[in-house]
This record gives sequence, structure tokens and C-alpha cells, in this order.
Amino acid sequence: MNITASDAILLAHATFGVTGCLAALWVFVEALNAQPGNGARIRTAAFVTALSMAAAWLCGGYWYVHFYPADRILILKGPWPFAHNLFMETKEHLFLITAILAFLLPVAAREKLSSNAVARKLVLAVAGLIVITGLAVEGSGAIIEHGVKVALLRGGSKGDR
Amino acid sequence: MNSVTAPDSPKLTAATSGFVLAAIIVVLFNTALAWTRDAYAPLNDFMKSLTGNPWIAHCFADLILFAGLGFILTKTRAVEKTDPNRLIGALVGAVAVAALGLVLWFAVV
Repeated sequence: MNITASDAILLAHATFGVTGCLAALWVFVEALNAQPGNGARIRTAAFVTALSMAAAWLCGGYWYVHFYPADRILILKGPWPFAHNLFMETKEHLFLITAILAFLLPVAAREKLSSNAVARKLVLAVAGLIVITGLAVEGSGAIIEHGVKVALLRGGSKGDR
Repeated sequence: MNSVTAPDSPKLTAATSGFVLAAIIVVLFNTALAWTRDAYAPLNDFMKSLTGNPWIAHCFADLILFAGLGFILTKTRAVEKTDPNRLIGALVGAVAVAALGLVLWFAVV
């Protein structure tokens, strides 16, 4: 078995991203049934969301700066150049929106959701947006990795089917 | 019991409303900066000279703006009296516009 630092960091990035999405979904479900009894759980899940997205940001950022340039060259020479030109270019900026929303969530979750309908609505909106944009970012990551794979598998056969 | 007095409509705290407005601004700024960096190479080069990689400078710009605006708007209580429902609608709208703006830009340009 040969797991490189690049592999470990990339997988950690995706794992933290999925954990952040799941934690945001947890906040969403708890907020749907907000009561005085689950306020602490909502705040904990919101904090886990922010922490996971921060970790995904650090791992992804380190990998993007240090390891992605080689993959980019492969993708652009392969049959799926849009994996970089569209999906990576969009992902690297869309993720920043997800991260900002993840940092907003713990602030919004400090409100008394059980007695404040508008605060509950805000938390539902922010958590829902994190799940939607986070899943879009995760899907983009899969397409980018597939762009590398098809470039390696079909190397030198650009356009062949 | 005074049936004439209506209960106060629910509001957001100064911190929450301040950071929501900060998020709205940063989400739109993030897409605008991505477009500008892509279209205007000197800006991209300048940001690269700051941190070695322009994306890192982009990240710092977003973070500093979010934290800075959030704290300023909280202290000044500038958004506290804004209708919270409008603020939530603006946040959802800003995220939709910013995300679609990124996808269309990189799909077309």
C-alpha cells in the first residue's frame, strides 16, 4: 500500500466537506423542530459545521496550491478539459460562499430559535444553502478527479470514443 | 390583559443581522472578484505577488471583509431595524445570483 501525502490531504478535504454538509443537514432538521430542549444541540451542530468547513478549506487549499498544478496539466491535455475550465474554476470560488455561510451559521444559531420564528427561518435558510452549495462542490470534486482519470486512461487519444 | 397591544414582531440581534448583511456583501464580492481576476490579468498578478497564489489572496480578502464588516455592522447596529425577512430573502437571492454568476462565467468565458 502506498498512500502519499497528496492522497491523504485530498481525502481529508472531501471527508471534512461531507461532514460539514451532514452537520448542516443536522442543524436544518433540528431547527425544523426547534424547542428549548434542543437549542444546545443546534448550536453544537452549527459549530461542527463551521469547524468541518474550515478544515475542508485548509486541506483543500493546501492540496490545490501544492498538488493540483500537475493534475491541471493532465486534465487540460485530456478529453475532459471542462473538468478544470468549468468545474474546478467554479468550485474554487463557490466553496468560499459555502465557507462564509458555514461561519455565519453559529452566529445565527445563537438566537432563541424556539421562540423566534424569523431566527428559525434564517437558520433553515443558511443550513439549507450550505447543504445545496456543499453538495455541488462535492460533485464538482468528483468530476475533476474523473477528468484526471480519463486523461490518464485515454492518454494521447483525445477525442477518441 | 390589554388586547390592543400587539406583541413585538420577532427580530434578529444586532450581531446576527450585522453578520447576515456582511455575508450578503461578501458572497457578491466573491463572485465579482473572481470575474475581475479572470478578466483583468494585472489584478491577478498583483494578488499573486501578495501571497504567492492569487486564490490565497482571494480567500484572505473574503475572510477579512466578512469578519471586518460583521463586527462593524454589529457595533454600529446599522442593520438592526431592517426587516429580517427581507434580509433572509436578500441572502438567499445573493447566494443564488453569485453561484449562477460563477457557473455561467466559467461556462461561457
